[in-house]
This record gives sequence, C-alpha cells and structure tokens, in this order.
Amino acid sequence: MNSLFNNKKVVALLVLPGLCVMLFAIAAPLVISVIFSFVKWAGFGKIRFIGFGNYARLIKDEVFWRSLINVLALILVTVFIQNVFAFFIASMMTKLSGGLSRVLRTIYFIPATLSLVVVTRLWVNIFHPDYGVLNKILRLIGAGDAAKAWLGNPDTALWAVIWIMIWQGFGWALLFFYGGLMTVPKELEEAAIVDGANRGQLYMHVVLPYMMPVVQSIVIIDVISSMKQMEMAYLSTEGGPGNTTQFIALYLYQRAFKYSEYGYGNAISVLFVIIAVGLTLVIQRMFRKSVDQI
Amino acid sequence: MKRKNALALVCAILAVSAVFAGGGSDGKKSDGKIILKMGDNLPDRKNGYGAVIETINTEFKAIHPEVEIVTESYQDQPWQEKVKIYATANQLPDVLKYWSFGGMMKPLIDAGLVEKMKIADFKSYGYMAGSLEGNVFDNELYGIPISGDMWVVYVNKGLFKKAGVPVPTTWDEIIASAPKFKAIGVTPMVTNGKEGWPLCELFDNISQRINGDFKRVDSAINRKAKYTDPDFVQAAAYMQKLVKAGVFQENLSTSDYGDARNMFGQERAAMYMMGSWEMSLATDQNFSEPFRNNLDVIKFPVVKGGKGSADDVLAWFGGNYIISSTSKHKDIAYEYVKYLGKRFGEIAWETQACFPAQKVTPRANDTVVSKKLLQIAADAKSTSGTPGLDRSDSVFKEDHQELIRQLCALMITPEEFAKKLDASAARAATQE
Repeated sequence: MNSLFNNKKVVALLVLPGLCVMLFAIAAPLVISVIFSFVKWAGFGKIRFIGFGNYARLIKDEVFWRSLINVLALILVTVFIQNVFAFFIASMMTKLSGGLSRVLRTIYFIPATLSLVVVTRLWVNIFHPDYGVLNKILRLIGAGDAAKAWLGNPDTALWAVIWIMIWQGFGWALLFFYGGLMTVPKELEEAAIVDGANRGQLYMHVVLPYMMPVVQSIVIIDVISSMKQMEMAYLSTEGGPGNTTQFIALYLYQRAFKYSEYGYGNAISVLFVIIAVGLTLVIQRMFRKSVDQI
Repeated sequence: MKRKNALALVCAILAVSAVFAGGGSDGKKSDGKIILKMGDNLPDRKNGYGAVIETINTEFKAIHPEVEIVTESYQDQPWQEKVKIYATANQLPDVLKYWSFGGMMKPLIDAGLVEKMKIADFKSYGYMAGSLEGNVFDNELYGIPISGDMWVVYVNKGLFKKAGVPVPTTWDEIIASAPKFKAIGVTPMVTNGKEGWPLCELFDNISQRINGDFKRVDSAINRKAKYTDPDFVQAAAYMQKLVKAGVFQENLSTSDYGDARNMFGQERAAMYMMGSWEMSLATDQNFSEPFRNNLDVIKFPVVKGGKGSADDVLAWFGGNYIISSTSKHKDIAYEYVKYLGKRFGEIAWETQACFPAQKVTPRANDTVVSKKLLQIAADAKSTSGTPGLDRSDSVFKEDHQELIRQLCALMITPEEFAKKLDASAARAATQE
C-alpha cells in the first residue's frame, strides 16, 4: 500500500477529484462571473454584451465606494478595537483558574454559537426606538435626550450595525487569542521577567511577537469576514437608511436580485474578489515584514 | 503494476462518485405522489391570506390525493428577490404568487418562464371588471388575480378617544394630532418604511391629493411630465413635513412590515397606513379583543388646499398566481390554479381575510373594517391603477424605493429627490 502511495501517478490520480471540485467550486464560478460582468442581463431573458460598460459605471458608483468605506470601517473596528479588547480579556483569563476561565470562555462564546438571524433580531429589538431596552435604560437614568432610533438614524446606523457584527464575532477572537496565549512557553515569560521586563514590555516584546502567526491569521480572517459581511446588514437595515449601512456583499446581492442587474452584480463581485485578494496579500506582506524584523 | 493502476483507478472513481453523489428529481416522492411546489409572500398560514391558501390546499389535496403540496413563504420583498433568483437558476416553483404589474411580470413572460392560461376557464368565477385583463399580455392570459387592493389608513378608535383626537379626514389634522398621541405614549402612525414601497404609495397618493390627478404619475413615467414639476416636489416636501412633525415612527426607514403591523396590533400606534389586504386584522387572533373591537379604517386623508378628494382611491389589482413554464406538472398545476380561482373569493370573504378580486356579497356579520372597505370602493370616483413604482423597470422601482427612504430619513431635500427620481424615470424610458 505504501509503495502505491509513493507512485506519483497514483497520488495525482487521487488528488484529481479534489482538484476537480476546487475548479468546479472556485475557479469556474469566478470565470463565469467575469464573463457575466461584461453583459447587461436581468438573470433571465435577453442578454446583451456591453464590454467594460459595467466596470465604467462601477467606478463612478457612489454607493459602491460608500459600501467599500463601510467595509474598511468594519475592518478597522474589528482589528483595532474588537481584537485589542479580546486580547486583553484573553490574557486576563490565562491568569484565572481553569474552572473559572472555562466558564468565562463559554459565556463569551455564546453569541458566536447563536444564529445570525437570532443575534440580529435580538439587537434590532434592543435598539428599537419605541420598546427597545437601550432607550428605556437611557430614559431611566435621565439621559432620555440621547435616546434615538439607533438603526434608523443616519448618524448612528452604521455604528449600531457594526456593534451587532462585532458582538457576535467577539467570542471567536477571544478563543483564538486565548488559544495563542496558551502556547507561549512559560519559560520565555519567566526569562523576560528575570531580565527585568515589566508587563507591558513582556507583552510587546515577547508574547505578541511569539503569537504573530496567530495574530496574522486572526487579522486575515477578520478582513475576509468583514468583506463578506452581508446577512446582518440585510436583516437589520437592508443597507439603509440611505445606503449608510451598505456593505459590498449586500450591495452586490441587491444589484443582482433586487434591481435585476445580474451583469452589474457580477462586475461588483469581480472587483470585490480583486480587492479582497489584494488586501489579503498586503496584510500577509506586512506581517511577513514584521515577523522578519523580529 | 497493472493491479496497482487498477486499484488507483477504482479509488479515483470512488472518490469522484462520492463527491458528485446525488441526483435529480422528477418532482415525485418515492411513494409516487406528485409534489407540487408552491411559493408565496404569505408566511402567516393561520390568519388572513395564508390561511385561505391553506384551506384551498387541503380541499385540493382531498380531491387529488395523488398530490402533495410543498409551500415556501417569505415576506414581500424577500419573496420578490427569491423569485428572481429562482428565475435566474431556471427553478421557479410550479405555482407561485407574484404580481401582475407589467414591470414585474413582463420580464418573466419575455423570458418564457410563465405558462399561458385560457381566459375562458376563469370567466365564470365572478372576477371584477379589469382584474383578469390585468394579467393579459400580448393577448394571452398569464395569471389569475387574487385581491383588489386599496391604499387606506387603519385606525384604533380607542387610542383616538384616549388622546382626545377626532378621527381625521385631512393630513393637517393628523399633523396637529401627533403631539397629543405622543403625550399618551403612542406613535401616531406606522407603516413599513424599510421596504420603501409603502412610502412610494404614500408619495403617489399625496401627489394626487395635491394635483388632483392620478394620471400625473403615469405622465412622469412616460416622460410627458417630469418628477421635477412643482406638484411632485410639493408632495415630496409634504412627506418631509409629516416626518418632521413626528407623524410616523422614529425608525420609519428601517421599520419592516412585521414591526409596523405589530406596533399597531399591540396598540402602540394609533394609525396604520397599509393596503386593504390587511382587513384580516379585524379577525387576527394574534391581537387582543379590545384592539379588534377598536379597529376601523378610513379613506386616505386629503391635503388641505389640494385638488384631490378622499374619494379618489389609490387602488389596483396586484397579487396574482402564475404557473412556471418549467413545471414538470403543468396539468395538475393548472388544475390547482383553476380550483384556486374558483374558491379564493368565496373563502377570503367568508373568513374576512382580504378584499378579493371577485365580486362579493355583503353580509350582516361582516366586520366593521370590511363593510367600510366596501363603502370606500363604492364611493370611489377615480382609481389609480398600478402604483407608480411598478409602472417602469426594476431599476426604477428600486431607485424609487431607495430615494423615498432617503427623503423620509431627511437625508436629501425634496428637490434632490425629485431630480434623482426624474433621472431614473428618464433612464428607464430609454431602455429597450
């Protein structure tokens, strides 16, 4: 059997089905998307080739750029606020007893186990201007002036939607950081402390650099999931009011299946893939540089 | 070596087989029953429309025991999107509820996705004049109408009494009453702003109340008039005036159908602006008896100084049932639609579920709401026909909905709204 698997032809043959699936599931849709991005089509009925017409329109589409900016805002909040907070909590948990740490991890992870629909409906109700708990609390503590339609107000809607997203994603970040922190050798920390490092220096110069591959993975996952974000915006605001909570994936869907602009939706998806791949490569390069410096 | 290669080949075949395992379906269960796939925008199957369809399904299955009906339901907009997705994938359900508006039906018909019907098969079912004809495209019938829809305002008389406010006949009275309702902790009026279309109906209706002519909307779509004309700008400004006066719920632009309906049903709002299809609120057991007893409906109010009257009614025949041309069971699907056409009007009126597209006989035990709706229909001096947003293509429809949401969120001025809407109408008019 071993000699069978040493045969390159056999290995190639066995890999072939998986490769076919990969091609079928990733490459083929991408190629089809590129082809459809050059047409004007409702998804059914007459189809017309319009060259780069969809792309020319996309460059000037304010809503597309707005949705891209919203995605970047989500990435920044996730990477620099959610993750920092998750890292801080995770590092505290590593100092707790096993039982207490387990209970806390379970509690923090509960939102991540809930369905997106449940989480979104939960927060839509909390943010509701009429019967929402948030406004009720604000009125109770005498801050009634601050009460508002959190998801309906153009000034607060984006941040309210981002809050729902990071509330659900926090458990994952915490779990990753906790797992990463547990892999840092105790001797390394002890050696740094013996050398006179304070807590800040210990984390900045020993723990974080050691965990850099974990951080890199978390940041890439954050970027990809932020780019893909659609369901929560769809369920809470549908991109409104006035496209203030529009995200690329949601906009793509709406253009293709609400506006019946299937070709234009495909053009958005092609640009979306290019941006996502580009962003991932930039982040990988940044991390490679920082790891090299270490 | 040969054995090794043979083994490898078997492994590869097995791997491929495992990956691509599965198969097609001929639309039949293993016990030979025909599965009739249906889809609609009626997620509540115990009240109103949905309950009527369930009753019809039960009766149909008793007549055709060889048939099993599988239904999927969503709210309006998600269902419309789902239909487009199914159409793109060429997988429309056998029978589906859709809308007869040209902007929605024509693309499906042009793509050859809708099965033709024979108008003679439905002539004896008592349809109101013009309702079946609304489903005729290029001299062929493609669907059967379900309901006659009117745009009205439902009111909770109990809350009006509590706030010391008379039931309104003008929008100015509604504006004046807003602080009184807020003083008793009640939202004056709710509607589904998230999906946009109810606000578009409001815009059409306010425009008519100002200019006195429903045809102005059609003129704007057909480029004989412009949305930037003063009457439309005035209507847009009037809508912002309503929002600024606090007439609607604070989260208007993100409040969905269920939210608005529940706010009204749970007596947190005094008025609910919606279509006549909500007449089943009067019999909806999900809401309290005091609410149902206090429920009433009024004509769409007038605008003081405007040319339109309360007897000009925004009304249309919208919802219909169609058969997919890709259905594997066209014959049984057609049998079903014929049965639906025969029974829907009777059951809908009997259960007071909705205002059907068929003639109805008033009864002494009809609810107050249905009696009033009949009166509104009888009093009508003019009707609008298809709402403005559904008179053009899908891009115009979505633009209209998006712009009206922005207008009501006070993100754009009435002038900007009019300019952008007009640009969208102009674009649509140049499309093939």
